[in-house]
Amino acid sequence: MTQTASAAKKSAATKAKAGSVARKSSGPKKARTRKKQAQAFPFTAIVGQEEMKLSLILNIIDPRIGGVLVMGHRGTGKSTTVRALAEVLPMIERVRDDIYNRTPSQFIEGEKAGKNGKALAPEDIVIEDIPVPVVDLPLGATEDRVCGTIDIEQALTSGVKAFEPGLLAQANRGFLYIDEVNLLDDHLVDVLLDVAASGRNVVEREGISIRHPARFVLVGSGNPEEGELRPQLLDRFGLHARIITITDVAKRVEIVKRRREFDENPEAFLKKWTREQKKLQKQILAAKYLLPEITMSDDVLTDIAKLCMQLGIDGHRGELTITRTAHAFAAFRGEKEVTMDHVREIAGLALRHRLRKDPLETLDAGEKIERELAKVLGEAEEV
Amino acid sequence: MIAFTDIVGMDMAKQALMLLAVDPSLGGVVIPASVGSGKSTLARSFADILPEGTPFVELPLNVTEDRLIGGVDLEATLVKGARVVQHGVLSKAHEGVLYVDSLSLLDSSAVSHVMDAMSRGAVLVEREGLSEVHPANFMLIGTYDPSDGDVRMGLLDRIGMIVPFATQNDYRARRQIVSTVIGKKDAEDTADELKMLNGLIEAAKELLPRVSMTSEQMQGLIQSAISLGVEGNRVDIFAIKAALASAALAQRNDVDEDDLKLAVKLVLVPRATRMPQREEEVQEEMPPEEEMPPEEPETEDEEAPADTPDADAEEEQEETPDMIEELMMDAVETELPDSIMNISLASKKKSKSGSRGEALNNRRGRFVRAQDGEMRSGKVALIPTLISAAPWQASRKAEREKKFGKINTALVINKEDVKIKKFRDKSGTLFIFMVDASGSMALNRMRQAKGAVSHLLQNAYVHRDQVALISFRGKEAQLLLPPSQSVDRAKRELDVLPTGGGTPLASALFLGLETAKQARTKGISQIMFVLITDGRGNIGLQSSIDKDAPKASKEELEKEIEALSATVFSEGVASIVIDTQMNYLSRGEAPKLAEKLGGRYFYLPNAKAEQIAEAALS
Repeated sequence: MTQTASAAKKSAATKAKAGSVARKSSGPKKARTRKKQAQAFPFTAIVGQEEMKLSLILNIIDPRIGGVLVMGHRGTGKSTTVRALAEVLPMIERVRDDIYNRTPSQFIEGEKAGKNGKALAPEDIVIEDIPVPVVDLPLGATEDRVCGTIDIEQALTSGVKAFEPGLLAQANRGFLYIDEVNLLDDHLVDVLLDVAASGRNVVEREGISIRHPARFVLVGSGNPEEGELRPQLLDRFGLHARIITITDVAKRVEIVKRRREFDENPEAFLKKWTREQKKLQKQILAAKYLLPEITMSDDVLTDIAKLCMQLGIDGHRGELTITRTAHAFAAFRGEKEVTMDHVREIAGLALRHRLRKDPLETLDAGEKIERELAKVLGEAEEV
Repeated sequence: MIAFTDIVGMDMAKQALMLLAVDPSLGGVVIPASVGSGKSTLARSFADILPEGTPFVELPLNVTEDRLIGGVDLEATLVKGARVVQHGVLSKAHEGVLYVDSLSLLDSSAVSHVMDAMSRGAVLVEREGLSEVHPANFMLIGTYDPSDGDVRMGLLDRIGMIVPFATQNDYRARRQIVSTVIGKKDAEDTADELKMLNGLIEAAKELLPRVSMTSEQMQGLIQSAISLGVEGNRVDIFAIKAALASAALAQRNDVDEDDLKLAVKLVLVPRATRMPQREEEVQEEMPPEEEMPPEEPETEDEEAPADTPDADAEEEQEETPDMIEELMMDAVETELPDSIMNISLASKKKSKSGSRGEALNNRRGRFVRAQDGEMRSGKVALIPTLISAAPWQASRKAEREKKFGKINTALVINKEDVKIKKFRDKSGTLFIFMVDASGSMALNRMRQAKGAVSHLLQNAYVHRDQVALISFRGKEAQLLLPPSQSVDRAKRELDVLPTGGGTPLASALFLGLETAKQARTKGISQIMFVLITDGRGNIGLQSSIDKDAPKASKEELEKEIEALSATVFSEGVASIVIDTQMNYLSRGEAPKLAEKLGGRYFYLPNAKAEQIAEAALS
């Protein structure tokens, strides 16, 4: 997969066919105006579900971790938490009004071929700050809206072929969220797998030929009772957070109270939580800056490799994910060196879905994994 | 049209609807009832107690995705030459009611969209070049007959109240129903009663923001939810809202016992996944505690303290007056076992989930190519349509201008240009496992079956395979798991399966055929029976229908099996028989069965899960 990805990148860069877009859309398009939905519940006011919150935060700190799959009981705030994410995300730079959210250098590279080989100078480009996009992919989305397609209106009214970017373009450098991901239509899953692997969306259909960068953090949520996730898609997610119903009365009372308070007066509630929100945002931002400076000793790396080997995990995605996640976790804690303690905290998240399943297992799968993990981690530490 | 106040009986359902009218944020009401009980009449009469002009939209079962969500109105767009957006049924129900009759028959993609809209309060339209948000904050009224199958739990989770299943057994009520239906009642009385009720609801709505409940009451409700094993937090909120609405309806400022009981009945009990512990069990499991008053052993939170060693939580729980918990148990017990048996989401009833026999590949799957077709017969493939119209533009425009004068469409598209998308839908094999749960080896077979089911699901997901699970023991076979892709559910069903008794093999084959037929109408063409049995059927089909039927003779039994097997074969259903006979006394029933079914036979008394799975796949 990595091979194809880098190959695709190269070839796309050299023979980018952006030139075949008959007309660049002029100015911001109405399809791209930010869709304002009801105000989101503040992220920091969410009680419990620490696994999910941590997974999301670590993915903000390092998007290369590869996203989160959140599976578990219904009515436990899965989508509330993801939708709350937008408010704690940092800002990113992009070229003003760029429909693909590209960075200046991506923009220049992408537009090169379009201007008959005439290079764009950096000073020709206006930069703007936008919040990291969080794009919701609803189950009823059609492929043309996901990948982008010809602009129907323009085609009909003026007979011009113009490209109308889809959700993948909007999600570039941000988050793509799919609720009930296990119910997603097969053909959309295929598209997502393709794009997630290459970081690039290629549209070759109905007489259009476009490619544009589409790197995003995939966040999926669902209830396993509604159906299992296809293994290929499962493997795409860096982390796997589990959600169960809280059985602590006091916590549940608190959840209900906060929810009711929010519903009664969202503004006042949001205001009350502003400080917490700001604090978390700062902490995330600090971690992002700290990330390149985090170090990890060879010993820890060896232990991680041992851990994955003993758990019989195929491929190297397990090690890579643990390593990246542990780095992000250390950064989030404000610590500069990754220790086995950090690894222990996040290993479950990174490995849970990569373990081979024993179908005869009567125990709760999660429980068993935790136990084995603890055992292996203990051994790994002693060595 | 019968008015809300004229409907006799179904008091719980009416009660629930009134609460919903007071607080629409309760999400909706689900009314399970048998055919002809007047549930749809009641649902439709709900409009009577809503403010005038409230939208009331009925969702037809055969709704298509674009009608549900909305999209581009292609015909209008083509005529106007500018994009015309058509709102879907979901957004038309905004700030009103969405009514679904036979909720359990709604197809699964439609259910997903309804669920999505309910959790967002909006519909995201990301289709056909459209990207819009349409507000869709509606109450859902769903009625269904439980014998038609279950409603998906995810959907139920978003609907506040589920009315306990009840049949009308009182002859006085029945008599009154009939007299109402034939119109004996004075229309003026009806109008007066409705007016009064509307006034009551209006007053309740005004009062609602001022109704309060104590922390103890809130904790009591939540504790009950935990005891009943209710999943998630949404339900806590619904229960509290229901109690508040109930108090408001009674013109009280404070929530009282009756309100709490009602909330437990309408919100919590129907979602119970386990029975609260019986008294004796609780006592046994409870560590001896001095403060425990012996006459109040119903503190059903034997689980919560174990999960939460933190001191605060325990303190909180001790503060909860036992009175409230007792009350909850009361409400629970009066509703049990009827409601749990009949509509509990955890119940394992025979499901005959229906289907509407839709041709799937005109609508779903991967877009393969465009073909000539009628605009209404499928999804229009826009670009090919435009391409086919393109060459004629100049001549057509000239022609039209000659006929009608100046025209303002940029394109002239004729009927014959229209191309329809053809889709290819991957549909895998449905494996129907029929597991013999009779006799002493049952437990072991369960393990095998469980393993095999998991294996198949985990390894063969790519092919879009599904499994269904039928167990047979005692008098009749049971469909434990309708066709599904969920390993979790299959495992759970198998975990709780009782064993022992006779071997109703014929009933299993019959049920298998029924399941297969329904799967066919849903577009699954390949079906395989996997029978895990020793093949010694000894209960006739008649006995599974009628308990008092005379015992079938050996010949009769054999004939039945033969006839059913022949049907299985002629229906093109493949089968394999996995013989679990342990000893050497086998009389070869299982190989015979395999032969009759025209299927393959495996002798695998100690088969491992993988072997069974491999056998099925090979």
